[in-house]
Amino acid sequence: MEISKELDKLLKKVEKPARYIGCEINSVIKEPQPGMLRFGFAFPDTYEIGMSYMGLQLLYHVMNKEETIFCERVFAPAMDMEDCMRRENMELFTLETKTPVRNLDFLGFTLQYELSFTNILNMLDLGGIPLLAKERTEEEPIIIAGGPCAYNPEPLCDFIDVFLIGDGEELLPKAVKLRRKGQTKEEYLKELCKLSGVYVPAFYEPEYYEDGRIKEIRKTWEHAPDTIERALVRDLDAAEFPQDLIVPFIEVVHDRAVVETFRGCTRGCRFCQAGMIYRPVRERKPETIKRLAQAQLDSTGHEELSLLSLSTSDYSQFETLATELVGMCREQNVSLSLPSLRLDSFSFKVLEEIQGYKKSGLTFAPEAGSQRLRDVINKGITEEDIYSAVKQALELGWNHVKLYFMIGLPTETQQDLDGIAEIAKTIKAINYELKGRKGGRFNVTVSVSNFVPKAHTPFQWEAQDTEESFRKKHDYLTKQLSVKGITFNYHDTEISRLEAVFARGDRQVGKALARAFELGCKFDGWSEHFNGAMWKRAFEETGIDPAFYAQRKRSYDEILPWDRIDPFITKAFLMRENERALQEITTRDCRQGCAGCGMNRKAECMPEEDK
Amino acid sequence: MSQYTIKFSKEGYICYTSHLDLLRLFKRAFKKAGILLSYSQGFNPHPKMGFAQPLSLGYSSISEYLEFETGQEYEPGFLLSRLKAQMPEGIHIASCEKSEGSKKSLAARSVAAEYVIGIPLKEMPEEDGKALCSQFLSQKEIRVLKRQKKTKAMKEVDIKEKIQDLNFTIAGENLLIWAKLDSGSHSNLSPELLIEAVKKLCPFMADRNEIGVMRTKLIFEK
Repeated sequence: MEISKELDKLLKKVEKPARYIGCEINSVIKEPQPGMLRFGFAFPDTYEIGMSYMGLQLLYHVMNKEETIFCERVFAPAMDMEDCMRRENMELFTLETKTPVRNLDFLGFTLQYELSFTNILNMLDLGGIPLLAKERTEEEPIIIAGGPCAYNPEPLCDFIDVFLIGDGEELLPKAVKLRRKGQTKEEYLKELCKLSGVYVPAFYEPEYYEDGRIKEIRKTWEHAPDTIERALVRDLDAAEFPQDLIVPFIEVVHDRAVVETFRGCTRGCRFCQAGMIYRPVRERKPETIKRLAQAQLDSTGHEELSLLSLSTSDYSQFETLATELVGMCREQNVSLSLPSLRLDSFSFKVLEEIQGYKKSGLTFAPEAGSQRLRDVINKGITEEDIYSAVKQALELGWNHVKLYFMIGLPTETQQDLDGIAEIAKTIKAINYELKGRKGGRFNVTVSVSNFVPKAHTPFQWEAQDTEESFRKKHDYLTKQLSVKGITFNYHDTEISRLEAVFARGDRQVGKALARAFELGCKFDGWSEHFNGAMWKRAFEETGIDPAFYAQRKRSYDEILPWDRIDPFITKAFLMRENERALQEITTRDCRQGCAGCGMNRKAECMPEEDK
Repeated sequence: MSQYTIKFSKEGYICYTSHLDLLRLFKRAFKKAGILLSYSQGFNPHPKMGFAQPLSLGYSSISEYLEFETGQEYEPGFLLSRLKAQMPEGIHIASCEKSEGSKKSLAARSVAAEYVIGIPLKEMPEEDGKALCSQFLSQKEIRVLKRQKKTKAMKEVDIKEKIQDLNFTIAGENLLIWAKLDSGSHSNLSPELLIEAVKKLCPFMADRNEIGVMRTKLIFEK
C-alpha cells in the first residue's frame, strides 16, 4: 500500500509512528463494495491500550465475519500526533484503509471508563464530525456506543445517536445490518430500537425538579420501548470468539493470546458493577477453551497465553483446565498467565509450575481493612485466608505481596483504616517470623483506591466521600504506612470524584463534559494529563455542581437517570442488598443458594452446588 | 545445528516499525511457521537470530539480512516458502541460503552500506548535481554535530573519512543522493549525519520529515 505523502510526513515527526500504520498480521482489509456497511470501531485511548482490550478483538472479528460489513479500527492519537494532525488539517482516519472517519457509515465507541469521555468528543472533533447529535446531518456517520459505561448512558446522550446495552457480539452486527441506503437516520433508529439492548436517547427526555433531581423521564416517541432490556448472549460456548487475533508490531500493554473462560460472577460484592451487570455466569466448555487457545497461538505466534474472566478460579472445572493448559503451554514454550487466582493450595501448585523462579508479586484484594467492613461490602475473604496464603507463598519463595483496598466505603470508620495498616504490618511480621532477620528482600505494596459508587449496584444510592475526607485518610494512611518494606500508593482524589460524577450523572453533566473538552481536557484518566483546574472551570461555567452527583445520598424513591435501563437484576434486590450491607449481613455466593436478584426470570443460572 | 541467512526488503508503512519490533515479528513468524530455532543457554534463553545491521525507524530498504540458527536441518527452499507466508504487507523475503564457511556473523562482517536519499528542494540550486557534489567533497573536513552515546552531549565530528563514495543528481525538484558509507562495528556513519552536512551546503533543502532514505545494499568483508 502506498503511503499517502501527508501521513508519511507526520509519521516521521511523531513518537511510535507504528501506532498509526495498521497492516498488522490478521488485520482485515476488504475491497469496498457498493452497499457495504463501513464501521469504525473507535477506542477512546491510545493504540497500546486499545489493542490490549479483548472486546475490540472480539467485535472486530464478528463484524468482519459478515460479508456486508467492513470493520476498521480507530484510536485516539497521542498528543504529539494530534498536534501534527491539527496543524496539517488531517482528519482522524481508520488504521486499515486510512479512510477519514467522516466517510464511514458508523463510528462506534467502546465505553470502558468514564474518564475517556473527553477523548470521545476529541475524536469526533478530529474527525470533523459535529459533537452534538442534533447538529449532525444525514451525511455524517451514525455514532454508536456500548460497553459497561453504557449502563448509565445519560452523560453522553447529547453526543451519541444510539447506545447498545449488554453483550455486543450478537447485537452489534445485527444492529448495523439493519441500516439501509436511502433510509433516514430517524427511520433507522425507530426500527433499531425495537431490538432488545438498543437505547436511542433522543426518544426519551428527562424533566427535572428545581433542586436538580429527575421528576420524570418522558418518551418523545410513543413507540419507543418503556425499558431497555440488556442484550444477553445465552450460550457463551456457542458464541463467536476470535482465533485470528491482530498482532501488534509495537509492544502493547497485553501482548498475548487470551480466551474468555466465562462471563459473569456469583460472588455478589456490593460495590462491584461488573458482578451485577454481567450476570448470570455463562461458561465456555474446557474443550472449547483449549481449542480456541491453540488456534490463537497458531495464528499469532504469541508466546504468552492468558485466561479472561472476573475470577479465574471460579471456573467450574478450573483444576482440570489449568492442569491441561499448563501441559499444553510447556510443550509449546508458551508462558501461561492466570490473573485473579483465589490463593488455595491448588493455585500455589499451578503458580509454582508456571512461574518457577520468575515469581511475580502475589496480589490480594481484601478491599476493606476489617471483617466488619468486608461484611458490609460482601467481600468473602478473611484475614485468616490472607495470612495462611501469605505463609505458603513465603515458603515457596515469593518476596513481594500486593494488597488492594478501597477507602470511603459506606459505614467506614477509623478502625477500618487502622485495619489496612494492620494487615500490611502483620504480613511483614509473618515474613520476619518465618525468615528471621536475614529474611532478605521482602516488600508489601498497599494500593488504595477511592470508592466510586456505580449505577446498578447496591451502593448506587450512596454518597461518595468528600475530597477533604479522602485527603485526610490518605494523609493518615501515609503516616501509618511509612514503614520500611511497605510501599503505599493511592489514587488521585480529583480523578475519583470526576469518575463518580459521570458514573451516576444525568444528561445535564454532558454540558460540563462538552465545556471541559473545549477547554482542552483529554486523556483525563492519565494523571499526567488530567487538568483539575480546567474541570473546575467547566463545572462552574455550566452551572453543574459535581457534589450533587458524587457526594449526595439518594433516597430509594428517587428516579435515577439510568432507570429505563434494565440489567435484569431488580431494583428490589439492590435495595435489599444495600439494607443488608448497612446491617453488616453477608449474602452468600449464589452458587450456594439463590440470592433472588431476579436474573433467573430471564436466563438460566449456573446450577447451585448444594442441590 | 544449521545456519541460514534470509534477504528481505522493508517498504511502505512497515518502515515505521523499529528494529526491536521487527525482531519480535520474526520471532513470532518462526513460531507460526513451526521452524525450531536454537536457543542460547542460560537464565533467559534467546533464540539465535539477528539482523546484519539495524535499520533506522522510517527508512526503507531493499537489502536487509537476518541470520538464524535452527536446531535441525531444513531445506532453504522450505524455509523460504514457510517464512514468506508469515510476512505482513511491506516485507518481502527474496532468498534464503544456508550459511557455510565463515564463523563470523554478518553483523561482525558488515563494513559498508549504500543508500539513496531523496530530498525535495524548496528552490532550485544554480549548480547541477555533479558540481554540488564535488563542492561538498572539496571541503577539507566535513564537520557535523553528533550526539554522544554516553553523555548525550552534542559533539562536532568529521565524517569525511567515513564517506566511501558519493553522487548527487538533481531529478525534477529533488536532490537525489547516492552514498556508500561506513557501516559496521569498526566504523559507522549514519545517513542522518550526512543529511545534516549536506544541509549546510544546500539550505534550500526541505525539512527532515519530507526526506526519504532507502538502504539499497549492505557490503560484507569475506
